[in-house]
Amino acid sequence: MEIYLPIAEQSMNVFVLLGLGAAAGLLAGMFGVGGGFLATPLLIFVGIPPTVAVASQANQVIANSISSLQVQWRRGNVDLRMGLILLLGGMLGSTAGVSLFTYLKRIGQIDFVIAVLYVLMLSTIGLLMLFESLRTYLRRRRNPEGPRGKLHTHYLVHRLPLKLRFYKSKLYISALLPLGIGFGIGVLSAILGVGGGFVLVPAMIYILGMPTSVVIGTSNFQILFVAANVTFLQAATNGTVDVVLALLLILGGVVGAPVGSRLAARLSGVVLRGLMALLILAVATELLTDLLRTPGSLYSLAPRDMAP
Amino acid sequence: MWLAAIAGLAALLWTSAMAQGPPRIEPPAGALVGPTLGGSIDPVPPSVPSEAVAPDLVVDLSVPRVSITSAFQGESILLFGMFDPPGEIVVVVVGPPFRETVLRKQRVLGLWLNIGRQSFDDVPAYYAIAASQPLQRLLARSAGGEILSLEDRLSSVRAIGERPADELAQFRNGLVQVKRQEGLYPAAIGQVTIQAGRLFRVELPFPSTLPEGVYEIRTYLLRDGKIAAAVSRPLPVGKVGFSAELAGWASREGSLYGLGAIAMALVVGWIGGALVRRL
Repeated sequence: MEIYLPIAEQSMNVFVLLGLGAAAGLLAGMFGVGGGFLATPLLIFVGIPPTVAVASQANQVIANSISSLQVQWRRGNVDLRMGLILLLGGMLGSTAGVSLFTYLKRIGQIDFVIAVLYVLMLSTIGLLMLFESLRTYLRRRRNPEGPRGKLHTHYLVHRLPLKLRFYKSKLYISALLPLGIGFGIGVLSAILGVGGGFVLVPAMIYILGMPTSVVIGTSNFQILFVAANVTFLQAATNGTVDVVLALLLILGGVVGAPVGSRLAARLSGVVLRGLMALLILAVATELLTDLLRTPGSLYSLAPRDMAP
Repeated sequence: MWLAAIAGLAALLWTSAMAQGPPRIEPPAGALVGPTLGGSIDPVPPSVPSEAVAPDLVVDLSVPRVSITSAFQGESILLFGMFDPPGEIVVVVVGPPFRETVLRKQRVLGLWLNIGRQSFDDVPAYYAIAASQPLQRLLARSAGGEILSLEDRLSSVRAIGERPADELAQFRNGLVQVKRQEGLYPAAIGQVTIQAGRLFRVELPFPSTLPEGVYEIRTYLLRDGKIAAAVSRPLPVGKVGFSAELAGWASREGSLYGLGAIAMALVVGWIGGALVRRL
């Protein structure tokens, strides 16, 4: 069954879009990521113009986040204070990011920036997570009763001023840290059209040292607002949000998200992190191959609205 | 006898065209008939004209416009008409002109990146040709200066900025490549079928990626490789109904549209999440 997407200006199979949405929703529920980092490249692959894919995906992330957040909130897995500070940084970051996106689009280098940023971020994060989870997993198998070590290690970043207590996360750290992380993720989120969860989740685990149980809910809380901000700014400045496309992705995601939450509850933290690492690496490899392989066609057209 | 029949058909087409479409999209009377008779038909002709009116070429379309609805998957339009034999028919469909920017990938440090860019003005959004005979044979001799083939048409697009001619040609070829992949410059030449030596018809398939605007469908009657008559019909292509409202809303009031999109996502995500969990 085909449906015409009014902003993407082409017709597309409804079930392909529902399936894509379901996959993104599953990831949102399972790992606390928006799922955009997987769905955006896939949307581009099936022929949606990259600018529309990025903006409409941000719209879907809103729905995925609120859907997962319903569950997480009830379980008390949201650190509101941490979430609000991350959010403040995220708002500033995504506003800066949309201006950057508009600028890059004008000079025609948006494809390059998107591709290179994706590959760099995904491969770095994927590798780090994979090694960490493998090491933890092996250590636990060898020595299941052994010392767990400190709850989290102390780095230079912990000497920053403006220290605050985060009770749910059991942390006493500088507010500047989550603020900065939030800002970086906001910029990414605007340019890549992803909620930024795949960077935020590892950052919360490894940099902030938050307990894994609180991470998914808090990440979803922050992503919800950042994605809403990106959707608004993309619609207002670039006019690239396709609500028909977004609605189909959302309907798929609504089915996927709770399934993911349930799966996540059954798996241990370390297995969950390992799986996420593998997934991130697979996407990075695919994107890198794309950049390295001799393209079928050397030519492409810039989006029409770029031309004055 | 034939002349009267043709004139009658012309009158019929004209009146039916007047009856169905809004006046702004209709061509002037002169455009409906061949240049040999330009402008000689009355706006409201009698069913049998007092003078023998004999256009060499009469053309009509199965629909007055292409409507892009939510169910639009591309559309096939029938163009049909009648001509005075002998001759061959060539139909050219030209989309509205746009400025296009062609990007070219180059290898930099092992990565394929968009490095080169070249803009062209007056690039037709769509270009398709149909003919009753292989085109090369029809155009063996000069077609009287009228542009017909895609190559000829594109040689007239204006490049923006300075660049050596051979590089410009590469970018132009790249443009055709991309448009071909999108189905907007079909490589295959459509088949115009001729019946009874004077009736012709051709199916014009349009893809779902069709850009909006007023298209022009030009029909040529060729005799000995020369254009004996030409008829031009405009074909408006536009979104209608829900698609049109959404697209209009998105471009006119982006901020409001953005808020609507957010509200939609929140409501559907919340209700959907609650419903699915209950199952």
